[in-house]
Amino acid sequence: MAGFLNSIDFRGLMIILFSAILVDNFVLSKFLGICPFLGVSKNLKTAMGMSTAVIVIMLLASAITWPIQHYLLNRLGIGFLQTLVFILVIASLVQIVETIMKKSMPPLYKALGIYLPLITTNCAVLGVTILNITREFTFLNAMTNSLGAGLGFALALFLFSGIRMRIEKSDVPKTLRGLPITLVSASLVAVSFFAFKGLIENIFA
Amino acid sequence: MFVLPYRLSVAQDILIPGLIIFGAALLLGILIVIISILFKVPRNAKKEALMDALPGANCGGCGFAGCEGYADYLLLPGANTGLCSVGGAECAREIASILGTEAVEPEKRIVVLHCQGTHDHTTPRYEYLGTRSCHSAHNILGGPGSCTYGCLGFGDCVAVCAFDALCIKDGIVHVNREKCTACGQCVKACPKKLLRLLPVTATVEVRCSNEWPGARTRKVCNIGCIGCKRCVKECPVEAISMNGSLAVIDQSVCIHCDACVSVCPTHAIARLE
Repeated sequence: MAGFLNSIDFRGLMIILFSAILVDNFVLSKFLGICPFLGVSKNLKTAMGMSTAVIVIMLLASAITWPIQHYLLNRLGIGFLQTLVFILVIASLVQIVETIMKKSMPPLYKALGIYLPLITTNCAVLGVTILNITREFTFLNAMTNSLGAGLGFALALFLFSGIRMRIEKSDVPKTLRGLPITLVSASLVAVSFFAFKGLIENIFA
Repeated sequence: MFVLPYRLSVAQDILIPGLIIFGAALLLGILIVIISILFKVPRNAKKEALMDALPGANCGGCGFAGCEGYADYLLLPGANTGLCSVGGAECAREIASILGTEAVEPEKRIVVLHCQGTHDHTTPRYEYLGTRSCHSAHNILGGPGSCTYGCLGFGDCVAVCAFDALCIKDGIVHVNREKCTACGQCVKACPKKLLRLLPVTATVEVRCSNEWPGARTRKVCNIGCIGCKRCVKECPVEAISMNGSLAVIDQSVCIHCDACVSVCPTHAIARLE
């Protein structure tokens, strides 16, 4: 056990985790998962429900797609079917998780249930699984990256729902009301995240 | 000649991956079915019966998110059983018998367009070349028609009607009285608020929404209400009142004598047929 722990590169993991949250934020710098980002950020409660669902699904999806890519697709020489297979697997996985959750964990289903079908083949979920492969992560790194991506998504949604709740109360010019001002503020939040560029490597250096 | 960079073998490069994907999809599909059977959550029998009783149009006319939303609401104690205008009295009775409560029959209503400004009654002010949508046209100086209160005729209401009850003819909307279920979707869709729900018993209505003074109305449309008040004087039960220079009929007072129809100089008051 001690040997296993010693073999883990914690610094590397920290860099992966925090760059996924701050620098390579899925929503704000990779622009993946914009649909749920705009769709459920109207209030904090739904935003947090959605974020939890995304974190859970991202972790589950990475845990299942990484072995599939490395032990199945690559061995069979059909790595190019990655996108198709991943969509298929993630969609089925979410469906199965939802069904099991409905029966065995009704309170959890009540909290996350409506968000699960929404993120079945969400591009952020698919994106993180494919990135795990293309960046040639080990399984542990891949899981850390997925956790970071999910947390980053939650952070973006959390910040943005706060902003949107303030926008609701403020006097916005008529032409900008609704979606236009939402998109403008989303872009400003995205720009502000660029301030994190280069930060992570220096902190963990 | 065009040469492929490598030898493309149908069997190896296409068929096998295809079969693998197909097999995987089939396997996962079967797995989902098995799991959904194993983890089946028994649904409320009463709700099932309610879902069967409701029309299933999911129009949202009751104010809930589709028929399922209304069924959920009906399971609450003291729920109003008469909100489904699509199913009408029959549906209300069925719901009441399932719930074991007194039937509340929905008031039968119908949607009426408060405009008669067809192409021969109005003139265009400018040529509109934008998106064929009432909402877009409405944003540009109130639309291309001479009367900015009138029907634009791009059919935003037709698009939302789930019952195929509306059609555009001569630039305005026509309502098929047999097909209209008074779900109210078109009422929400109309940017001019010209479609309004009236009791199905109503026989006459001021089919105009123009609030301008008579002289100005007359310039833009020759079938609009000019606010002459002749109908107000003629009405034996005082069902007609004036909203500025637009006559308004109170349908709950109207006795369907048609006296106003015959005196209206512009035929803005019309029989509903």
